[in-house]
This record gives sequence, structure tokens and C-alpha cells, in this order.
Amino acid sequence: MIALGEFAAWIALPVAIWGAVMGFAGGKQGRGDLVLSAERSVYAVFALVTLASAALIYAFMTDAFQYWYVYNYSSRELDPFFKFSGLWAGQRGSLLFWALNLAFFSAITVWMNRAKNREFMPWVSGILLSVLAFFLTITLFITPPFEQLAFTPTDGRGLNPQLQNYWMTIHPPTLYLGFTAFTVPFAFGLASLLSGRLDARWIQLTRKWILTSWFFLSVGIIFGMRWAYEELGWGGYWFWDPVENASLLPWLTATAFLHSIMIQENRGMLKVWNMSLLCLTFLLTIFATFLTRSGLIESVHSFAQDLTIAFTFLGFMAVVGAICAALIWSRRKEMVSERQFESFFSRESAFLLNNLVLLGAAFAVTWGTLFPLLTEGLTGSKVAVGPPFFNQVNIPIGLVLLALMGIGPVIAWRRASRRNLRKNFIWPTVIGLGVFLALLASGMRHMYALLTFSIAAFVLFIIVNEFVKGTRARARIEGENPFTAFIHLVRRNRRRWGGYIVHIGVVIMFVGFGGAAFDQEVRQSMEPGDTVEIQSPFGHTYSLRYDGLSTQQGQNMWQMIALFSVEKDGVPDGTITTERRLYTAPPQPVTQVGIRSTLGEDLYVILSNLDEQVGIGNNPDHQRATFQILVNPLVPWIWYGGLVLALGTLIALWPGAGSAPSRAVAAGGAGGSRRDPDPDPDGGPDGPSSGPGETGPGTQEGPDGGPAPTDREREPVPAGAPS
Amino acid sequence: MTALIAAISLAGLVVLWILFPLLKGLEAPMSGDDVELNELLHRKKVALLGLRDAEYDFQSGKLEEEDYRALKGSLATEALAAMDEEARLLAQRASTGPEGRAGRRAEIEAEIAELRAELREGKICPSCGLPNARNARYCSDCGTELGRGTPASPTPATG
Repeated sequence: MIALGEFAAWIALPVAIWGAVMGFAGGKQGRGDLVLSAERSVYAVFALVTLASAALIYAFMTDAFQYWYVYNYSSRELDPFFKFSGLWAGQRGSLLFWALNLAFFSAITVWMNRAKNREFMPWVSGILLSVLAFFLTITLFITPPFEQLAFTPTDGRGLNPQLQNYWMTIHPPTLYLGFTAFTVPFAFGLASLLSGRLDARWIQLTRKWILTSWFFLSVGIIFGMRWAYEELGWGGYWFWDPVENASLLPWLTATAFLHSIMIQENRGMLKVWNMSLLCLTFLLTIFATFLTRSGLIESVHSFAQDLTIAFTFLGFMAVVGAICAALIWSRRKEMVSERQFESFFSRESAFLLNNLVLLGAAFAVTWGTLFPLLTEGLTGSKVAVGPPFFNQVNIPIGLVLLALMGIGPVIAWRRASRRNLRKNFIWPTVIGLGVFLALLASGMRHMYALLTFSIAAFVLFIIVNEFVKGTRARARIEGENPFTAFIHLVRRNRRRWGGYIVHIGVVIMFVGFGGAAFDQEVRQSMEPGDTVEIQSPFGHTYSLRYDGLSTQQGQNMWQMIALFSVEKDGVPDGTITTERRLYTAPPQPVTQVGIRSTLGEDLYVILSNLDEQVGIGNNPDHQRATFQILVNPLVPWIWYGGLVLALGTLIALWPGAGSAPSRAVAAGGAGGSRRDPDPDPDGGPDGPSSGPGETGPGTQEGPDGGPAPTDREREPVPAGAPS
Repeated sequence: MTALIAAISLAGLVVLWILFPLLKGLEAPMSGDDVELNELLHRKKVALLGLRDAEYDFQSGKLEEEDYRALKGSLATEALAAMDEEARLLAQRASTGPEGRAGRRAEIEAEIAELRAELREGKICPSCGLPNARNARYCSDCGTELGRGTPASPTPATG
């Protein structure tokens, strides 16, 4: 079984190369047989890589320690759940897993477009298979997951305990889905360059893919933050670690891209820019994978130090970059903007500013991440820039972005008049200033926090007001109750309103980030019975009494669990436990943070050191330990904001008519005779044939609340409306 | 031995699967959808979506009246141009296409002509995009109030 899987991986590579050649040749010569062969190759590669991945999982499940990869990332005692996740636990498996994800998305793409958008598909198949061939080459020749040892060890070395955490089992696959999903829009963009079809069609076709990728990237990053917060025991969720940065980079450029394609769609501008952003984002997904898995830069995630893989990745990126640049250059005359920017005060320039700021952030993060490498190359010693650098640069950038999230939705296209600016920004500015002054009066002096909260109020007011205005208008026009009106409003233009909901989520997350300015920390060595007090920035005082340490044996580990009784302002408020685990395979201590969340803050207790040798006997005389106790205000808001963000993205993504215009206008509009009351079932904005659901409001009431005209066949004037 | 047989059969199956189109002359469709028509429908769709957004922005005070009119005019022109071309394309096809389709084409053509006329003279519903008669006060589809006495006649396509 395992050998067959390995064999499947070996056949997948030539099939991918063959298919890529067929795709390009078929596209060039317009030969359908070659294209069919290419598309069948996509399916074949998907099947073969699936088989190979299944074989690797099987090797983990059956403790096949004769395989180097299984031996190094598993052990007999390991929970089966973590054995399964062994597929992406280390470099070797995760590159195969990358190929699996990409093969999956490629197969879906080819299947969905088997009867439409055919002019793109030869190229799309060719590009997807080329990327697949690259990853298969690395998997097979540089990081072989099926490499065998000369003997069969009796047990494996075990999985890094920090990875034995449920967030860690879902965080990498989610990010990988985000990285790989972006290859599809990249393939379509490049296909449009190759085929010369340079209108906004490729954007139309791939908008959902871009959003899908963005969704997985966002959620994956948030999962990673959650993992860091719970598992690393450093008291925070983001450390500007190279791998965190690597995942943030494509997210930043993908966010920029998501916004700037709207300008191309609406105004026919920024075509070269969009294409460049697309290529850049794709390169950054590759770069992120490379940085995560090459171990080039020290990081909590990296384990390998093999430079072959680094040079292979860099070579691939250089080739892809060169091809993109050459293609864009050769088509530059066909991608001229149809319009010019008219005014700085316009939605276009808000979008452009958003793009520049996001790219600025991406540049700063790249610079800071690669800085150790550069200094090592130039001076011979690695100099890492720490979180202070990143915070100094990125906090102001983040605040500008935050403000733009409020400005963008309400500023006018083309040219905003004074009246427009006055009308839309006076009240939000007043609210923002009010919050600023109120917080200042209440004693808050941290400038960034003050700005974060007041800008957040400014943005939130604008977006909520948009919803209120829209709902009111709809309720009035349709005679619906506010709730129904709200639902219909969102359903009818999910792209717009889903986007606004994402913005609300981001605002909530920013408020959570702002809380970091007020983190409280106490570090103390304690004996059972000792009490420590910590002040919450919200005014109350926690008092924690160390009740003692108990030692017990868990699966594959020893657990030392410290128990605290908590009092809040003198009132008993339950208990909290915090753990230190000593894993047996591999032998390594890991802290398991005790977190107690309320709406406003987290009480966060770390068992940082056992000051005395703790025996198994649970002797209370030998239980002195050092604890770090933190109050992290507003951290829960980050997770709530993340949920709202995910919800908003799903609303914008949901298939159906809400994000597409109506066919009714095209086919049934005038007569309405062929109107279909159901929203487009197979949906998506990718075809002009998308459904008419948008034009069919839920209720059929007339303007005055009475029944709507029943004869909607030929008469465009409603009964009762005098001509 | 079993593994060898399994491997050989797997390889054989895959090779057969991907080479079959070349051996048997099977072809993938190279233009499955109607590229030309799709293009027009897409242009129309973008213009109508733009109209909807412009209307929303105007209603909510984000767009000045002057800009709104200009934008609406250009977008309506664009939509009209796409519709004109679509009609021409369909008419052309109908004249060259099979007999049986001609009737249906004519019907579509008539409908489009009607729609076009309405677009030229009438009001486009801000909320659902349905073209209504010039003097309509409410949209006949969704009931949105269309505003009194302001026939938003866009710049005609022909200039």
C-alpha cells in the first residue's frame, strides 16, 4: 500500500509535465485533443497525489518507522489524531500536502470550466500543472517523504510537543488552502496575458477564487495567532516571527488586490497594477511556503537547514517572476487605463491609497523578516529586528488602513464634493473625536490606543450607518419589517454588504489589538498558600492564591498542574489551572497556559518554572514554582472579530445571485415572461447567465404596502400609479 | 509481486487515460460558451451593476447629482451599446441559423428592441435595474419609487 503510494507520486510528476506541455501546445495550436489530454492529466495528477498522501497517512497510522519521515514525526504513543496530521507536520510531508491541495483545486477548476470559458482553459491547465510539477519535483527529489531508513526502529522520535495541539492541526492546512487556492486566479490572470483576452473577464471568473483564498489565509492566520496565544506561553498572539510574517505577506497583497480589482471592474483602470499584484501575491504564497519550510531564517516553526531547497525555491520564484514581468511588458499597450484619476478626494484614490499602504506594510514586513539574512550576508552575523521595529512601522500603517475602511465606503467615486464630504463625514468625525476626548478624560494616555479606539468608533459608525440607511430605505420601499429588510438588503448585494461585515470584523479585531497597550504582568515565585494580586486596566483587582501542584501521567507525557483560586475584588471567582507538560517522546517541556476569558479581558497564567524538583508524590513541601500572571485586555475581541470577518467573507462568497446582476434585465426584464423566481442555484458571478434572484425581492407588496400588481407580464406601470 | 502488478496496472491506466484523446482524436471543446455573446452580456451586466451602485450612492448622498447624471448617462450608453450589439448579433445569427430557431430569435429580438426603447425613453429602476416606462412612478417589478417627473433619459447611444 505504502509502496504503491510512493509509486503514484513518481508517476504524478511525468504526468504533470506531460499535461503542462499538452496544455500550452493545445492552447497555442488550438488543438482540442491536446487540451483534453492536459485536462485529463489534471485529474490524473489529483488522483495520484491523493493516493500518495493516503499512503503517507497510512504509514503514520500503522507506525511504519522504517520511513525517515514517520520515524522523525511520530511515535507509538502519539494520539491517532496527531498521527493523521503528520502529513503536514514536517517539511517533507507538507510539500506533498501542498501538491495535494493544489491538485484538488486544479481538478475543481478544470471540472467547473469543462463547458465554459474554454478559451482560457488550455493555458490554465498548463499553468496549474507546471506549478504542480514544480512541487512534485521538490517532493520527490529534495524532500522525499517516502525515504526509507536502513533498518526499522522500534519506535519513532515523536512529534514536537508544540505541534500537539488542535489549533496546530488545523492552522497549517487552512493556510495551505489559502496559499494554493491563489494559484487558480494566478493561472487565469496569466492565461489572459497568454491568450490576449485582457478585459476584466479573468477577474470576473476568479473573484470567488480570490475570496476563497483570502478567506483561508485570514482564518489560517487567526488560527495561528490562537495557537501562539495558547501554546507558546509568551502571553501574546503575534511575535513578528518570520513564519507569521510569511503568512501575512500574501494576505496583505491579496487584500490590496481584492480592493484594486474593483477599480478595474468599475472604472477600467489599474490593469497593469492589478496583474502585477496578482503575480506578486502568487510569488508571496510560494515565498511563504519556502520560508516556512526551508528554515532559512530562525523561527519557532522551522526545523530544516537544507539550502538545496532554498535555492530551488528561489530559482522557481525568479523564473515565475521573470515570466510574469515579460508577459506584462509585452501586453502593456493593451492594458492601458480607460480613464484617469480625477481627484484625490474620490473612492478611486481611497482604494489606491489602501493599496499603497498595504504594499508599504508588505515591504516593511519583508524587510524586517529578511534583515537577519542580509546582515548575515554582509557582516557575517545575524542581526534580527524584533517586534519593536515591526510595531513601530506597522501600527501607524494599520491605523491609516483602519481609517480608510471607513472612508472608502462612503466617499464618492470620481470626485467627492465638499457637500459629499460634509454630509458623510461630519457625524462620524464627531463620534470619533468624542470617543477620543472621553477616553482622554477617563485617564487614557497611550496615544496609539487612543487613536485606535477613536478611529474604530469613526469607522464603525460609518458602516453601521450604511446598514441602517440601507435597511430603512428598503423597509420603507418594500413595506418590510426592519429584520426582513435587513436580510434582503444583504442578500441582494452580498458582495457589498459582505465586504462591510468583513470591515466590521477587522475593526473589532483592531480594538482587540489596541488592548495590548494595557497588558498587565506580574512574575513571581510562589509556594502553596501564597497570594498574588494583579490589577485589571478596567479597574478591578484579581487576587490569585496558589493552592498547590499535582503531578499526573497523561498520554505520552507527565503533567504538572498548578491550581489557583481566584478572587475578583475580594469576591471568590472560581479557579484556574495552568500546566507544564514533560513529553516523553521527544523529551521536551511545554507550557500549557491557563486562560480564563471574559468579554473584556483574559486572565492568563503561565507556569514558567518549577523551582524545586517535583516528585511524583505530590509533596506540598516541594512545590515552589515561578508563575507569570497576565491580564490581557480585549484579546477575546480579536477572536470575535475573526468570526465576524469569516462570516462576512462567507456571505460575500456564498454562491447564488446576490453578488451577480440579473439576467432578468437581459432576458426577461422587459416582459418578465420567463422570470424564474428562484435565485441562481449554481450561481457565482462567473457567467453573465447568473440568476435573476436579485431582481426578485422576497415580498411582492406594492409601494404602498398593498398587494403588488399581479400582471407583471407586459405592463411596466403598476396598477394604481397614475401615469 | 502483487505490488508490482498493482504498480504496472496503475501506470498503464494513467497512461491510457491521458493518451486516449490523442489516440482516438477526442477533443475538448475549445470554445464551449458563446464568447462573443458572453462578452456583450458581461458588458451589459457591468454597466447595469454600475447603474445600480450609482443609484444607491446617489440616494445615500455619496454621489453629487451632477456626477450621478453624468455617470448614469455614460453607463446607460454603455448598456445600450451592448444591447444594440447583442441584438445585432442575435439577428445576424437568426438569419444564418437553422430555420427552427428563427422564430425564437425574432421573439428575443423583439423583446430586446422593446427593452432598448424603454431604456432610451424610460426610467431604470434603481433597485432592481428593470427599465420602466417614462412616466412610471413605481418600478413594476419591485415597487421602488422612481421619482416624480424626472425621466432619467440617458444620453442616446448614437450621440
